[in-house]
Amino acid sequence: MGEAPVKLSLKGVCKSFRLRGTGADGQEQFINVLRNVNFDVRQGEIVSIIGESGCGKTTLLRIVQGLIRLDSGAIEVDGVPVKKPGRDRGFVFQQASLLPWRTARQNIEFGLELQNLTRAQRAQRANELLALVGLSHAADQLPHQLSGGMQQRIGLARAMAINPEILLMDEPFSALDAQTREVLQAELLRIQAETHKTTLFVTHDLDEAIYLSNRVVVLAAKPGRVKKIIDIPFRHPRPELPELRGDPLFQDIRAEMWELIRTPAPAVAA
Amino acid sequence: MTQPAIPLDQPLDNEAEVEILGPPPRARSIIWIVRLASIALVLGSWEFFGRQINPLFMSYPSAIFRAAVVLTASGELIEALGSSIRTLVIGFVSASAIGLVLGLLIGRYKLVDAATDWLVNALYSTPLVAILPLVILWFGLGDMAKLFIVSLLTVFPVLINTAAGVRNVPPALIDVGTAFAASEREIFLKIILPATVPYMMTGLRLGIGRAIIGMVVAEFFTAITGLGAMIVKYGNQYDTASMFVPILMLMLLGIGLTMMVRRAEEFFAPWRGNDD
Ligand SMILES: Nc1ncnc2c1ncn2[C@@H]1O[C@H](COP(=O)(O)OP(=O)(O)OP(=O)(O)O)[C@@H](O)[C@H]1O
Ligand SMILES: [Mg+2]
Repeated sequence: MGEAPVKLSLKGVCKSFRLRGTGADGQEQFINVLRNVNFDVRQGEIVSIIGESGCGKTTLLRIVQGLIRLDSGAIEVDGVPVKKPGRDRGFVFQQASLLPWRTARQNIEFGLELQNLTRAQRAQRANELLALVGLSHAADQLPHQLSGGMQQRIGLARAMAINPEILLMDEPFSALDAQTREVLQAELLRIQAETHKTTLFVTHDLDEAIYLSNRVVVLAAKPGRVKKIIDIPFRHPRPELPELRGDPLFQDIRAEMWELIRTPAPAVAA
Repeated sequence: MTQPAIPLDQPLDNEAEVEILGPPPRARSIIWIVRLASIALVLGSWEFFGRQINPLFMSYPSAIFRAAVVLTASGELIEALGSSIRTLVIGFVSASAIGLVLGLLIGRYKLVDAATDWLVNALYSTPLVAILPLVILWFGLGDMAKLFIVSLLTVFPVLINTAAGVRNVPPALIDVGTAFAASEREIFLKIILPATVPYMMTGLRLGIGRAIIGMVVAEFFTAITGLGAMIVKYGNQYDTASMFVPILMLMLLGIGLTMMVRRAEEFFAPWRGNDD
């Protein structure tokens, strides 16, 4: 099987934040969040990022989207550096972040309204996406009338509506109960099989990372850097997660990841 | 086999509890019966005790009602009401428009805020009716003076609440705009503006109350037209029953206008309306 071309690449990404106030010596204080992060995501691949809380996963994803500027390094899409948010990338937020005054359909149309589309084109696209995430019946509900799982589906549909080449997802299922989460995970795989979107997926759930991904990037903390990139060999379409969990290989990969996350990486001088 | 810590029939208990907690339909009618009884009691005692008091100091419902009929028939009440409402509406609407626009700019742009916050806070804290004599010197006793005072009192609550609304737009929602590569203009129109609507409505509701105060005080001073002027006129004539008529009109006006803003709030911000 020939390797797909690289779609997204992170090259030497570094980021530090200035802390409020100054230290004991009166100097400005900085916190190193990401140091020299390098990896590629191939066309059509799902790559997950895992790592302990606060290791910089969200920061990394927001940098890729262009919501945060990086200190040094580069984000490249198809080999071209990108610095600002663009419609080649769609972002799915952790707390759905739907606009509360818009119905499900209007939320999906948000990104489309920023493009030169006619009302009819927007409506048609929104219908397609509503059908894709199985929420055609809830099109005219306001977000507060939707369950958490439905809100996440709309958030995903909103990102997919602009037909981005790359999907960026920040713990999109972490606020959901276990059952809903498994349903949505399977749904994401189904949608992925249909649309072949290159996907970068942040999670702290190891099972989720293994189940969804072609590869998993394990980040070390303080500062965040790539500890290891693990290939997940299961072929698509994959069996459902409970079944896959029974596979000894799944157990081995999970144990390896757990070990990687648990053992602190050697500290790096700031 | 070990006994589960929580009995398996727990959910049934909860269901029973939920049913008890929900308001049974009969409670509503009881609430209304109590409310009407209380109204009848208050009006009844007012009528009873009011009749014992020298009519110079106090009036009572039936006398006020008779006075209202006379004042309505003569057209005096309607004319005063019309004049007051006109002042109120023109002053309130123009001040609201100014307050909303300035509030949006002050809330969004730090430099505009820095340039104006001291002035806004100073003027908001000042009881502005105090400058009425000065305003009358500037504008005379005509409508301009009244409009000016009404607008001045209305503009600050609207402005301050709108600006607070803009500052309180959840950053996560602005991120959505940024992530979808929206321009500043699009973020303003499609995210900040709608997210601020509930705060604007609160500002308008507070503004209405202050606008009515401003109007009455201005009419007291100028004493030519309007409900406030009527109060002064019948007060000077020691006709207390007739004086109560415009006072009750003002009460109704306040209630009516506040209810209208509430309705507008439910209409423009239905996603917020679940808390009462
Ligand atoms: N705007 C900011 N200013 C200062 N520090 C920040 C800022 N954003 C993030 N940080 C810090 O950067 C570090 C990484 O944060 P980030 O949100 O990326 O972590 P995360 O890996 O997503 O964690 P979690 O799994 O809990 O979501 C944290 O220590 C956080 O305190
Ligand atoms: Mg995070």
